[in-house]
Amino acid sequence: MEALLTATSSDYSREMVSAPPKSVAGEEVWIGQAQRSDARAFEALYRLHVDKVYGLCLRMTGNVSEAEDCTQETFIQAWNKILKFRGDSAFSTWLHRIAVNTVLGRIRKSKREQDRIQAVNDVQPARVATGDTGELRDLAEAVDRLPERARHVFVLHAVYGYSHDEAAEMMGIAAGTSKAQLHRARRLLVQQLEEQGFDA
Amino acid sequence: MTEKFDDKLDRAARELATEISPKRDLWPGIAEAIATPKRSRWTPILAQAAAIVLLVGTSSAVTYIATKDSNGPIVSVAPELVFEQAAFGGNYHLGPGFQDARNSLRDDLDVELARLSDEAREDVQANLALIHQAIIDINVALEQEPDNVLLQQKLLRAYREELSLLRRVGGLTRNVMRRNDI
Repeated sequence: MEALLTATSSDYSREMVSAPPKSVAGEEVWIGQAQRSDARAFEALYRLHVDKVYGLCLRMTGNVSEAEDCTQETFIQAWNKILKFRGDSAFSTWLHRIAVNTVLGRIRKSKREQDRIQAVNDVQPARVATGDTGELRDLAEAVDRLPERARHVFVLHAVYGYSHDEAAEMMGIAAGTSKAQLHRARRLLVQQLEEQGFDA
Repeated sequence: MTEKFDDKLDRAARELATEISPKRDLWPGIAEAIATPKRSRWTPILAQAAAIVLLVGTSSAVTYIATKDSNGPIVSVAPELVFEQAAFGGNYHLGPGFQDARNSLRDDLDVELARLSDEAREDVQANLALIHQAIIDINVALEQEPDNVLLQQKLLRAYREELSLLRRVGGLTRNVMRRNDI
């Protein structure tokens, strides 16, 4: 298992996201400017939030290429819809909602998810650099192997801390379904991790 | 599954990284995409604006004509009033009944318009020109988005407005004639 996990700190270097500065203080201003079609301000928002969006996309898809596509699509949609952002929620939450919709939409559309699960089961998976180390790597990989809906609920609820109501609303399912899927995810994770010697 | 394991799982899940940097800069692709205006973002707005102008213009014309005396001199009609092909998006065609009614009214239009006062005639011509321009604009938009139902509906409505205006012009002038005759 460890041999598969080759992520290093250089995998998530932040060099490429150095400018403009990541200042939450400027976020409100950038949003206003972006709503007036200022692409430069929107780039600042992208730099500020790309790691959060990419992280979510990567956790949900378990695939680097797919996560990159979803991240780009999320920001393109955010640009197209930015006039609808009224500040009722945090901008990052608003972006997360778009990202979840994007991921789910792409899965529905392309059926790539089925191929991905098949690939994970059949061949050694390409390592996804998430920055997790040790047992967390094992957990991340086990999460990656979860069935689609259980994985999405687990990522939104257990990893990102969204309530069942919030996760359910994002995914377009009932809160009860979210709870059931979380239970299922935990059960499957226990099975996987126990096999790997995850110490309780 | 024990509670202890559950707790540990939850704690571990909370420790998983939530912010992960992509290995490559994704901005250039986004910048390229947002630099190209999305047609679907604007064409419905333009079409809607055209439809509103069309509706307001038509209503104004009809109201104006209906409340205006038509005692002006009979003059020849401007020949530049040209009607375009009644088809849209290359995929749709108006029905033969509609087309016949339209052609018939068009044939009579010059005569009918000549009976109106200069001012009323100019208003009608201006409104017909507005409708025709709206039809052309919506057709252009439909060429880019042939499956856009909203645009299809707008175009159909534009044709109906045109037909309605043509009929009203004919009816009004006949009424005017009857009043004048009396």
